[in-house]
Amino acid sequence: MKKQAKHLALAFGLVTGIASYGTAALAQDCTTKIGAVLPTSVDWGKPIAATAQYVVDLVNEAGGAAGCKIEMVLRDSQVDPKVGVDAAKALVDLDGVQVLLGAVSSGVSMPILTSVTAPAGVMQMSCCSSSTAFTGLAKDGKTKGLWFRTFATSGVQAAVGAMVARDQGYKSVAIMYKNDDWGQDIGKLIAGDFEALGIKVTASVALNDGQASYRAEVTEALKGQPEALYMALYPKEGTAAVREWLSLGGTQNMIVANSLKSDEFRDNVGLKYLGKLIGTDTASPRSNSASAFVDQYTAHFGKAPSGPGLANSYDATMIALMAMEAAGKGADGAKVASMVSKVTDASGTPVTADVAGFKKAKDVLAGGGSVFYQGATGNVRFDANGDVSAPAVTWGFSDAGNKELSFISLTDVDAFIASLK
Amino acid sequence: MIGLISYLIFFTTVAAILSIAVLGLNLQWGNSGLFNGGVVAFFGAGAYGTLILGGTPQSAHLGGYELFYPLALLGGMCAAGLMAWIVGKLTIRLRHDYLAIATFGVAVAFENLMRNAEALAGGAQGLRGFERPLHAWLGDGFTYNAIFLVFVLILLIATYKFLEVLIRSPFGRLLRAIREDETAAQSLGKDPAKIRLTSLIIGSVIIGLSGGLYATFYAFISPQDILPILTFQIWAMLIVGGAGNNRGAVAGAFLIWGAWTASGWGLSRFAPLEMQLYTGSIQFILIGLVIVGMLLWRPQGLFPEKLVVSQSGRTKHVKNRE
Repeated sequence: MKKQAKHLALAFGLVTGIASYGTAALAQDCTTKIGAVLPTSVDWGKPIAATAQYVVDLVNEAGGAAGCKIEMVLRDSQVDPKVGVDAAKALVDLDGVQVLLGAVSSGVSMPILTSVTAPAGVMQMSCCSSSTAFTGLAKDGKTKGLWFRTFATSGVQAAVGAMVARDQGYKSVAIMYKNDDWGQDIGKLIAGDFEALGIKVTASVALNDGQASYRAEVTEALKGQPEALYMALYPKEGTAAVREWLSLGGTQNMIVANSLKSDEFRDNVGLKYLGKLIGTDTASPRSNSASAFVDQYTAHFGKAPSGPGLANSYDATMIALMAMEAAGKGADGAKVASMVSKVTDASGTPVTADVAGFKKAKDVLAGGGSVFYQGATGNVRFDANGDVSAPAVTWGFSDAGNKELSFISLTDVDAFIASLK
Repeated sequence: MIGLISYLIFFTTVAAILSIAVLGLNLQWGNSGLFNGGVVAFFGAGAYGTLILGGTPQSAHLGGYELFYPLALLGGMCAAGLMAWIVGKLTIRLRHDYLAIATFGVAVAFENLMRNAEALAGGAQGLRGFERPLHAWLGDGFTYNAIFLVFVLILLIATYKFLEVLIRSPFGRLLRAIREDETAAQSLGKDPAKIRLTSLIIGSVIIGLSGGLYATFYAFISPQDILPILTFQIWAMLIVGGAGNNRGAVAGAFLIWGAWTASGWGLSRFAPLEMQLYTGSIQFILIGLVIVGMLLWRPQGLFPEKLVVSQSGRTKHVKNRE
């Protein structure tokens, strides 16, 4: 046993020796490390990580941030909270990162935030976590202003759905939502929004996946004889539910979330029943910066950015690095986090999301000014809880697929959400 | 240096918490031959129980009783034990793989229940709003983690000692007798069903303790924490460490969790830049190799079971039970 312990100690010494050798060699060219905990072992996670790495390369091309080259240390979260938290802790303690990108799943981001980044005062920026639980945590003051995400919460879609109901003059609405964290969130949010607008919610029904029939659920939704139906469902259960809904005499006044924006749903239900359907979606902003991102990404990776979260990952990394630049050399996580508002300041100098834009941002910040970042997801602006808003569209089905009905700019979305409170 | 110590404290805490769960499973499988395929269900019951009883009030769901922490933890353990009693009553007569399938089903059902029962446990978003005990005095930085580690280690040692005494007691011999030959034990007037149920409950309470500590440490639990992967991780720890040997159970937990995290750390540091995107997949291969390698070359585990043949405590190695 003693011998074993000796060997262990020896091995341990060796490992730490190698580790310190590595940092000593790098310190000469002045490298600042940032951490990333992303699910690289999952197929859709790889491009998200590749995008973040790409941004780091761009920033290094622009001369790095805060006077140093940036090195992104990437760890796999395996979509397992334990593994993700351990990776985050190792990044914070062993690599000394002050900025952490990630994670994707809310169930991984949350324990990282509560047990690693918030206690250690490290800034955490997620590209893709959508849960409203973060907003609640931030309101309780538990995130210490260190938490940000570039993924618009379900709040935007819920609000726009309520806006449609108001504009159509519906007085009562029934809600059917998918029974997962996204559906539970959006179902609850829109119920609140309807109430705020004085629209009566006659029923709010959860639908589980993969049922052969939704007759019981649909009957329950029909009970209060609503003027309209709101659905946050996926095409498969959406098709089944709508068929039952119509066959039982339910109204054709429907409002749906973006998840039903699918040809499968349109074809299986039948276009003639969907004439009065209005859908909602968050939109890419009508700005040059968004299309510039698409062009730049396509040129670099050889294909258009089509997976989930790519534009969000791009912006998350870029904003984090700009905030580091603004905070200056050797700044801690809290300082960097406090600078996020300085680089997403609507009254600041607009900068693009590329090498030239980053260089320009450096000049402006060096001169004491503030910067308005024009990113892949538009003019990103965080609220006090670290959440972002997004522009929205409404759409309907057409012979060719679907068509846009109206575009609601970010300003209008923000104003409407504020009016609901 | 302080960073390294801080990380080691963190790592040891998680490994020690998982060790407790492996010890619980070792009582069930190693000593009683109960093939528990639903470790996460009991782990989850402990975790959810602790947070519901000890958390701050939340508008959306049950809980937030702000119970004194040790009571909350005890409540979590009781929840795990209660669930084991119910599951045991229904399934304990099943043998080996059938019991595994049944308990696995219970674990999946439990995860689904937690995912859907918003009013009970916050649904898919999980349970938050838990204040870590003594948080106000210790802050939540280095000191807190160090003291929490001591607390976890005390519980780990207590569990270890308790189990060592238990398996050396007449009850422990009875467990092994039933494991080896149920009919023979029955012919001596023992009631295997009752003994097996007792073992399942004690083991599950220990696993529940581990879950409670886990949730306390992260101040958060969600359905994503109780996916079947955790059952397999805990099983891998027991198999590698050595089923039937408590020291092996603890060693296996540290070793597997160490391999799991060190491989990720090593790859992120030493793999070339263009390989970085693939390290996640490489890590899975490495972990798989360690487990398969162990099974091929040392199927009895690092620390094989030592059978105590008489009360005088003479020991001899038993090479392979199967």
